[in-house]
Amino acid sequence: MTMALTLEGLRKTFGDRAVLRGVDLHVEPGAVFALLGPSGVGKTTLLRCVDFLLPADAGTVLFGGRRAPPDAPGQLGLRRRIGMVAQNPYLFRGTVAYNVSFGLCVRGVEGEELERRTAEAMRLVGLEDRGGAPAGKLSAGEAQRVAFARAIVVRPELLLLDEFTANLDPANVRILETAVREFQRTTGATVLLVTHNLFQARRLAARAGLLLDGVIVETGEAKAFFEDPKDARTRAFVQGDFAY
Amino acid sequence: MAGDPLAIAGLSLLVSATSTLLSACIAVPLGVALGLREVGSQRLLRNLVFTLYGLPPVLAGLLVFLLLSRDGPLGSLRLLYTPLGMVLAQVVVVAPIMLGITMSVVATVERRVKETALVLGADRRQLSMTVLREAYAGIVTAVMVGFGRAISEVGAVFIVGGHIEGNTQVLTTTIITDIRQAEYAHAMLIGVILLVIAATVYSFLYRLQERAMP
Amino acid sequence: MHFSLPRRWLAALVAAVVVLLSVGAYLSLPRAYLLMATTTSTQDTGLLSYLLPEFSRDSGVEVRYTAVGTGQALDAGRRGDVDVVMVHSPPLEQAFMDSGKGLCRNQLMYNRFVLVGPRSDPAGVSGATSIVDALGQIWNASARFASRADNSGTHNKELVLWASAGLTVSTFGAWYEKTGQGMGETLAIANQRDAYTLSDDGTWYSLEARLPFLVLAYGGDEPVLRNVYSVIPVNPANHTGILVDGAVAFARWLVAPRAQALIAAFSVNGRIIFTPDPIGAC
Repeated sequence: MTMALTLEGLRKTFGDRAVLRGVDLHVEPGAVFALLGPSGVGKTTLLRCVDFLLPADAGTVLFGGRRAPPDAPGQLGLRRRIGMVAQNPYLFRGTVAYNVSFGLCVRGVEGEELERRTAEAMRLVGLEDRGGAPAGKLSAGEAQRVAFARAIVVRPELLLLDEFTANLDPANVRILETAVREFQRTTGATVLLVTHNLFQARRLAARAGLLLDGVIVETGEAKAFFEDPKDARTRAFVQGDFAY
Repeated sequence: MAGDPLAIAGLSLLVSATSTLLSACIAVPLGVALGLREVGSQRLLRNLVFTLYGLPPVLAGLLVFLLLSRDGPLGSLRLLYTPLGMVLAQVVVVAPIMLGITMSVVATVERRVKETALVLGADRRQLSMTVLREAYAGIVTAVMVGFGRAISEVGAVFIVGGHIEGNTQVLTTTIITDIRQAEYAHAMLIGVILLVIAATVYSFLYRLQERAMP
Repeated sequence: MHFSLPRRWLAALVAAVVVLLSVGAYLSLPRAYLLMATTTSTQDTGLLSYLLPEFSRDSGVEVRYTAVGTGQALDAGRRGDVDVVMVHSPPLEQAFMDSGKGLCRNQLMYNRFVLVGPRSDPAGVSGATSIVDALGQIWNASARFASRADNSGTHNKELVLWASAGLTVSTFGAWYEKTGQGMGETLAIANQRDAYTLSDDGTWYSLEARLPFLVLAYGGDEPVLRNVYSVIPVNPANHTGILVDGAVAFARWLVAPRAQALIAAFSVNGRIIFTPDPIGAC
């Protein structure tokens, strides 16, 4: 199961600082899209608007071509079809298995199915025999892998990744990127990957876009985007002309 | 002139344990609900609860006394000079404290952890339970503080209980009457018993709290 | 599983609350015993521990009591929170009866007020010919005096005595210290501060051994130094549930020969302190 994601004219201002100034973006169902941009440009804000953590000031977000339902139960239902992995794991007090199975429990899954799917998700991130380990005793990489397993075990149709491997060592980055690929391949979910790591974007994404000064400057098919961008600013960014 | 120390200690423990547990049943769910509310409306509630922190136990005792007296609105319940009346007086003192601590602890559960629960699709009830779980150690602290207040409380239980032999004599009121009668050695003994009981309860609660360390 | 309290804990909590409340409720059932409000002085003499079991043996009725200040004891009677009141403050008792709060009043006995003070006797009270004389000497010497100042029977007696000596308490200097507390506490304070104080002899003899810096300074037998005790069953007209039959039986028992003999025989540290003086109106 999968859904398209469309942003139309999304605006968000904090105090006197306008972070998103009319963002238009479309991600096809089942696509892996990398959203690039310098640190602090508003990529996280954008994701938080998509996942109902922040109310946008203006503009629309369409899920599978439709607006979010206005009522709370409807919104909750939609939210349960979306997953997000943040830069920090924010694990709950408890074991690895408790964390991974959290979302399943929320959705009323229990018993044998819960155990099976939890084990499957832990296997995907290489933690299949760490189920009983307390969350507080994990390394940063392991904790982030738990957070990833926790997000995908519920098979979201749209997965939002917010710099999800920032600060991790190469071994863990590799594990997580493999997990993303495997997840996307088996479920066909739409993945919106926010990153400032060009190399990761190249490895994972089929399409890419650049967020700069509050708007999307350019989008395009990955190869073309990185090797021969149309916009001068994109060119400057992918060539490393300004710090990110 | 004092009654049997064992009965006195038993009643102290009974009254304090009952009032602590009852207060927890009221204060913890309420504290979780209030602690999760948005910051703005929380400030007024916080101020109200913190004002109740300053409610002197003797004043609480007086209020409950006037309430439970035959003359008073709840006089027909005949709870004055009974252990249940003492429990009521202690709940008036202890519940606000537990409520305040619970609210604070819940409010300071890391915002991102709450958000993660929401992102994973938790509804209001599931979010409350998750926050309760995260704040578990702090809530045990609230119970410890509440029990401490209850077992050491003397003013309210004296006024509402009347220190009647065979009925409403507890450790703290016995210490007061011992001092009045210059029985200092007996008062010290009662005091030691009180400390031993408190220490035992605390070590049990502390062990509960340690299970919170993930 | 994630979102419900662990079943074990919830069950334990519920069980604990139910058990505790049940025990508490059982202990708080409407009482079969007679409840009396009396003063701390009465309790401190030890008479009640001696006398009350005798009444229970004779009548099968148990009497329990709460010992508070005189004012509070009478107020408990006024509110109907107790069945019977035993105090030793005739003026306040009269007001209580006049307001219709008491059913009837039986006078029981008296002990005496005594003046205690420091061994050094700075006011030279030992040679006094009367209590009024003694107080006058204390005033002359501005010797430290501890007053209960708590509107109790003892305190009211003290004020009456100062007035008899022609002295106005409100003009007294810093040597006159108001403790606002009961007899035991006030004696303890007098002991620490080398002060004179007026005490009932029952409390004094009970605590004498633990008050090493105080001695009996003046202990004459004047009628004005009598501390008269009475028992008053509460008038059930204004309240429900007063155990009036038990209260009246108790009041009558106390003025009957057996109780009066027991009172006459009661001693504290080897001294007889009560003189029977029954007037049975109940």
